[in-house]
Amino acid sequence: MGSSSSSINNIPNAEQLVQETGFSAAHVLRLYERFQFLDKDGSGQLRPEDFGAVRELAMNPIGDRIISAFFSPGYSSLHMFETYRKLWTLPPLFGFWLISDLRTQTEPETDPSRSRPTAARGNSDVLRAMLGLQVTEEQLQSIAERAIQEADLDQDDAISFDEFRKSLEKVNIDHKMSIRFLS
Amino acid sequence: MVLLFLEVSVRPLGVACSQDTNHNNNHHQDQHSGNATHVKKAFPVLSLDYHHIKAPFEVSLWVLLASLMKLVPAARQLPVTSGGLTEHQPGKPGEDTALNCLGEKPSVSGFHLVPRLSGIVPESCLLITVGLLVGGLIKLAGEDVPPVLDSRLFFLCLLPPIILDAGYFLPIRPFMENLGTILMFAVVGTLWNAFFIGGLLYAVCQIQPANPSILHQLELLPCLLFGSIVSAVDPVAVLAVFEEIHINELLHILVFGESLLNDAVTVVLYHLFEEYSGVGTVTVMDGFLGIISFLVVACGGVLVGALYGILAAFTSRFTSHTRVIEPLFVFVYSYMAYLSAEMFHLSGIMALIACGAVMRPYVEANISHKSHTTIKYFLKMWSSVSETLIFIFLGVATVDGKHAWNWTFVTVTVVLCLVARVMGVVGLTFVINKFRIVKLTTKDQFIVAYGGLRGAIAFSLGFLLDERVFPLRGMFLTAIITVIFFTVFVQGMTIKPLVELLAVKKKQEAKRSINEEIHTQFLDHLLTGIEDICGHYGHHHWKDKLNRFNKKYVKKCLIAGERSKEPQLIAFYHKMEMKQAIELVESGGGIKLPSALPSTVSMQNIQPKKPPPPKPVERALPQLPKGREEEIRKILRSNLQRTRQRLRSYNRHTLVADPYEDGLGDLLIKKQKMIELEKKIKDMNNYLTVPAAASDSPTMRRARLASDPQAYNMKQQSDSVPTIQVDLASPQSPDSVNLMDEFRQAKQQQQEDDEQGLMMKPPSGPHKPGEAGEPREQKLMRCLSDPGPSADEEEDEPFLP
Repeated sequence: MGSSSSSINNIPNAEQLVQETGFSAAHVLRLYERFQFLDKDGSGQLRPEDFGAVRELAMNPIGDRIISAFFSPGYSSLHMFETYRKLWTLPPLFGFWLISDLRTQTEPETDPSRSRPTAARGNSDVLRAMLGLQVTEEQLQSIAERAIQEADLDQDDAISFDEFRKSLEKVNIDHKMSIRFLS
Repeated sequence: MVLLFLEVSVRPLGVACSQDTNHNNNHHQDQHSGNATHVKKAFPVLSLDYHHIKAPFEVSLWVLLASLMKLVPAARQLPVTSGGLTEHQPGKPGEDTALNCLGEKPSVSGFHLVPRLSGIVPESCLLITVGLLVGGLIKLAGEDVPPVLDSRLFFLCLLPPIILDAGYFLPIRPFMENLGTILMFAVVGTLWNAFFIGGLLYAVCQIQPANPSILHQLELLPCLLFGSIVSAVDPVAVLAVFEEIHINELLHILVFGESLLNDAVTVVLYHLFEEYSGVGTVTVMDGFLGIISFLVVACGGVLVGALYGILAAFTSRFTSHTRVIEPLFVFVYSYMAYLSAEMFHLSGIMALIACGAVMRPYVEANISHKSHTTIKYFLKMWSSVSETLIFIFLGVATVDGKHAWNWTFVTVTVVLCLVARVMGVVGLTFVINKFRIVKLTTKDQFIVAYGGLRGAIAFSLGFLLDERVFPLRGMFLTAIITVIFFTVFVQGMTIKPLVELLAVKKKQEAKRSINEEIHTQFLDHLLTGIEDICGHYGHHHWKDKLNRFNKKYVKKCLIAGERSKEPQLIAFYHKMEMKQAIELVESGGGIKLPSALPSTVSMQNIQPKKPPPPKPVERALPQLPKGREEEIRKILRSNLQRTRQRLRSYNRHTLVADPYEDGLGDLLIKKQKMIELEKKIKDMNNYLTVPAAASDSPTMRRARLASDPQAYNMKQQSDSVPTIQVDLASPQSPDSVNLMDEFRQAKQQQQEDDEQGLMMKPPSGPHKPGEAGEPREQKLMRCLSDPGPSADEEEDEPFLP
């Protein structure tokens, strides 16, 4: 994993990275090494397949979500610089995605004649993935329903960003969304 | 106070009675020795034999005293406060109010001294005072005070319930997240305290230049021993005081965790110094052995506890047929863990904590709702009584003990305790903050330092000292008691105002919502994923691995039946629904229940919406396709085995409109009723409303509730199945199901005519086809068989974080 040129100077745009992301030089170096490790074909760019090669990620229920988050729609490869930036900005996006998932799934029915399962076929993947295969559709829906109801403070059947934020204020996200790198 | 008099009067009576029994004995001897001289006495119609029941009677009296102490202030406040005894404490709704009455109720009116007093003074102080009074009374009565704080009694009977209660309901997630910090405080902090206090005491004792006092006799090792005894933060005192100040979770778990985990250190230090105090010297080798001993004691204790915990979990897997003794397993296994650890001089406290924490997720998945409630209440009851007794006994033992007051020693001890604690906490936090993401602020440090209370454990350890080896034992005990009194009274009383003054963050009182649960889990996965990407094997990675291992192997072993596969989120969800249902009912049958709205709506939306079938009323008996019927019978057969044996039998009459003994059935019914009422009042355009509970007769729901079926997965049934409802509670054959089904059909028809019937159907809502109701009913059933609602927030935590 360690490359022969393991010095910060060899990393392109190092200072820019440090400045922008706030990672320390040691962190940047370490991430660079990791990048090189993941980049199997040495092309200087990461593809989704490279990410998929990480074994533990495959087992992660939301693994593919994470991978897709790194790649903005339309791009299939990732330069290193962007990797860093993504790592930095990633976490807050996810939460909102999850909620928006739930929301599209449980849109209130205006037409009672339309049966539910069609609407529910939206992307409730994240919840389902987390819950595993043993849940029924109704349980999934009921959980999602409840989640939306709890967060929906103004009862408009929609979750705005503020409501979302409020629902999570107990969770202490900024404490939780941090990973310590070098011990 | 009547009780005190009773007790005091009993004692002289006891003396008198022992004389009485002697008399009887003499009489008997007379009889045997002189058969000829057989004196005929009148047959004793009523005799008094106190001696016979002396010991249990006294124990009961003490326990009664302790319990009454808890009642009295609450009773005094009864005319004062409006809500009476059922006033809800913030953060502890419902049942636990009565247990923590003292000290929590704010003073409502000014003319009662007691309420105001109990608002300022923590309960522990009041209890110690009562103990002092009782001890004083006993002494005045001339009796010798029973050695109440006898170490054996304390360590074997009084302490375990408190620790088990703490361990069983330990909030695992915050504990594990802060484990490093807690361990640092517990191990390094206690070591620092012990050596600092012991060493400086020795130094101080040596510097008495002019008048050689007895202090000069004090060697280094006894000093260090004393230091180790008095430096340990006491879980009982911390619990007692911190319960009342409702501080935020982080600080609470830090101080409390420290008080639990420092037991290992205390045990090792105590035995080490005690062992070598006789000899007089400690070599480096001994120190090294001490370190190894510490590891053995700590890890051994945890292992023993975990082992017993797993045994208990495994046993609980098979208790589905004898639910009544389930709580017993929990208690007995835990107690045996404690005793086994004590047998090897390992840390009993850590064993007990480990046992409770390990056993809990699995046991709760296996046992019935009622057993869960029983366990919870028994633990709370025992720990509450124990705690009260401990404080009372502290007071009594103070009055009784042989005290040797030495100004220098005592004051230096107290001062050193404080100083050592503050220095220790500040120093350690400085180091710890380098490794923590969430730093500890100065305020936090202050609370942690100030919350280092000493308690009865220190006293008991001092009591255990051998008089011969430690001639200054009396002085030690006096100093220990003074430190305890100081920390409990002064620090205990002032910590609440200080917390207010410093505006320390308090415990958040809102309940855990399912959103948080989902997001917490989601965040875990997310962070694990990112860690994997970065190639960093951090905290989340190992936690994830542990969870996976747990899910794959351990749960299968230890959890009975299908519940082993149930995802944690579902269990949590059911629990929440259940809780909400109960609260809904408890809050009364009000029409407008805005708070209830979200849950009711969500409960209603469980089943997929189906178009209303044309003519529900006209369906007589369901026409089932053959395959469907087979399916249903299969489900019935496989699930019927799991129901409890004792079930009420039904007949047509009881199915109709009986009051139900089972309150749970009641509340679901009421909930349904309220749902109906709400809907009626709400706008007809609300399409989220639902169908009726009509298809379920209340008694059938009760029937379901009466059993404790395990989880099962509902297969999706298509629209074509009309109204068959799988009632899995009945132990009888499927025939009875059909019977009830028939009956239900008849009832539905009856209700169609009668709009105002007991179970109302919404006038124009879509009719819920039967199998759609099933999943909900089954979910309800699952909800109810679920180890149920808990008033404590801590219990809302997922079992495996």
